[in-house]
Amino acid sequence: MKSHWTTDQIRDAAEGKLSRRRFINGAAALTGGAVLAPMLPGFARAAGGELSVMAWEGFTMETELKDWLASEGITIKASIIGTQDDVNARLVGSTPVPTDVSEFNQGYNHFYGDELAITTPLDESKLPNYNAEETFAGFYKAPTWFWDGKLHGVPWIWGLNSLVYNPAVVPEPKSYADLLKPEYKDKLAFGDDTLATWPMIARVAGYGDKFPNLTVEELDDAFAQMDPYRAQCRVFAASNGDSINLLVNGEIGALFCGWSGIPNETAKQGVETKYVIPAEGAAMWCDAWFIPTAATNTDLAHAYINATLGAQAQADVCKNVVGGTVQKPAVDKMDDATKGLFDYGNLDAVFASSPLQGIPPRESDEFATYDQWVAKWEEFKLGF
Amino acid sequence: MRWSFPSFDRRQRSGLALAAPTAVFLVIFFVVPAAVLLVYSFWISRSFQITPTLTLSNYLRALGNAGMWLSMWNGVWIGAWTAVFSVALSFPVAWYIAYRTRSNAILYAVLLSWFSSYLVRIYAWRTILGTSGLINSTLMQLGMIDQPLSFLIFSRTAVIVTLVHLFVPFTLLLLLSALRNVRTDYLEAARDLGASWRQSFLRVVVPMAYKGIVGSFMFTFILAAGDFISPQLLGGREGVTTGLLISNQFRQTGNWSFGAALAFILLGVFLFAYFLVAQSMRLGRLSPGLRFHPTLPTQEKA
Repeated sequence: MKSHWTTDQIRDAAEGKLSRRRFINGAAALTGGAVLAPMLPGFARAAGGELSVMAWEGFTMETELKDWLASEGITIKASIIGTQDDVNARLVGSTPVPTDVSEFNQGYNHFYGDELAITTPLDESKLPNYNAEETFAGFYKAPTWFWDGKLHGVPWIWGLNSLVYNPAVVPEPKSYADLLKPEYKDKLAFGDDTLATWPMIARVAGYGDKFPNLTVEELDDAFAQMDPYRAQCRVFAASNGDSINLLVNGEIGALFCGWSGIPNETAKQGVETKYVIPAEGAAMWCDAWFIPTAATNTDLAHAYINATLGAQAQADVCKNVVGGTVQKPAVDKMDDATKGLFDYGNLDAVFASSPLQGIPPRESDEFATYDQWVAKWEEFKLGF
Repeated sequence: MRWSFPSFDRRQRSGLALAAPTAVFLVIFFVVPAAVLLVYSFWISRSFQITPTLTLSNYLRALGNAGMWLSMWNGVWIGAWTAVFSVALSFPVAWYIAYRTRSNAILYAVLLSWFSSYLVRIYAWRTILGTSGLINSTLMQLGMIDQPLSFLIFSRTAVIVTLVHLFVPFTLLLLLSALRNVRTDYLEAARDLGASWRQSFLRVVVPMAYKGIVGSFMFTFILAAGDFISPQLLGGREGVTTGLLISNQFRQTGNWSFGAALAFILLGVFLFAYFLVAQSMRLGRLSPGLRFHPTLPTQEKA
């Protein structure tokens, strides 16, 4: 059997003289190789390996799961989310970026699960930490994450988006209206994270209970009421990291609505900031892990998700991001400050006062759509 | 009938071999995606789903959107001033390197800034221009100001300053390459024929370096006007450019068709800007290929 082609054969092939038999042989070899290659020993997957995780800044769990990751031989390849839409932009289309685990905000559940169909059903047998005994009832297979008999996402962390401020610049604001004082001109920033900003705009404008279902007229009115705040605004922060940078460098004194973990991050850089729930209230959020259709290592992804639900990991991450746990055993492992953030004895009341809200509808004849909110947000940033 | 390669002589074959990789790359990764994008711009899209229904609605919506025009103006303003300053600052340096020194030390010094990432350079400028940044701290320590100068950052000026820093190495390289084609013999010949320094510069140097000047200007203009990261991080409330609106359509709303329409409108603006620059150069008699024979002082005497 010939093991190589002669130069004449190569020339013939280049000139289109490749025989049918040789073409079929070559194609069969290529196809066979492609089919069998993954089954060869060299392609077998190890228990550990690289796990591609796309999560918010501070939420990749590399710190909290450091020992577990080391013992399992797992390396996290992290991508940071700037806005939730970064996730869909990465995962939709015919050539999604391979990602093993990512997270979605509660408002994106059906958009990801049904419309974009970028989630895969999770295998509960591989998630022993997620169970009715250990997981708070409000988070265990609730309709937000479990529908049509499938678990589309596992809620794992929740918290508040609220007014973040530097007490040295803006002392103790009690209400958003306090930010309109003349001395705070150019001290305010809006975050470009619309999941945090839009619900708060609706609240400040008096449409908090209606969000995300505002009519077009109500949407116009809500943003019209924001004009005085825009006049106080110095910059639109591109991300949580950018907000932290702006607060640390003294460029702003208050962030209209941001992640409650920002004070921890600025404290690491020697700048004291606080978050407060003003008279208008705060916006609740809950992130859920999901395994995208573009995942390449689902077993490892399940193991990782399960590990993030461990009691100590939950207690640690709640402390680091100033968040709330979904696991009952984690509460006892928290320090007093973290435990005192929320009334774990009566979570129903917490959700009643700050319900988990969705995002504006993608299509509607009755309410302003997500596209219209984006357009309005752009106009607002442009100063219309 | 069997297909066979057309025959080329050796010179043609070597030419094809040299050009083919780039041509293939551009066709696959630019021409084809751009063509797809152009088709998308005439279709309907919503929430990352595209419906192949022919429509002009995306263009009509974009052209009727005041926000689009304002952001476009914002980008064009930033792009034009960035290009003007980048070319103006690079030209004397390129001249010095081309005609006054044999050392490339200055060139390497300018190119050194390339050895850092784009975002690092933007944040470095934030540190320099910021409220507690290098400039404000120095001025305050010197007792020249009581309060930090807030206008230094989060303004279009801050964006232009940063972008000029980012693009000067590019414009310098292009202008230097162009000036090295203008041999000193030509300048001396012009002077020997009685041309003043200004005349030899405008009638010899600029037309011969035309491609480098216009190329570096347009290159900088297009990249700066289309940029949305620097304006967002340094532009403050005025930091919204069309690039950001386009990005939002692809990333946030999933309205690829509208985003594509915005992108092609921006392309049209860039082509129009090129036309304006080229025509201005032509009207100013600074283009190559046009022969002007002004009466020189020596001829007047004769």
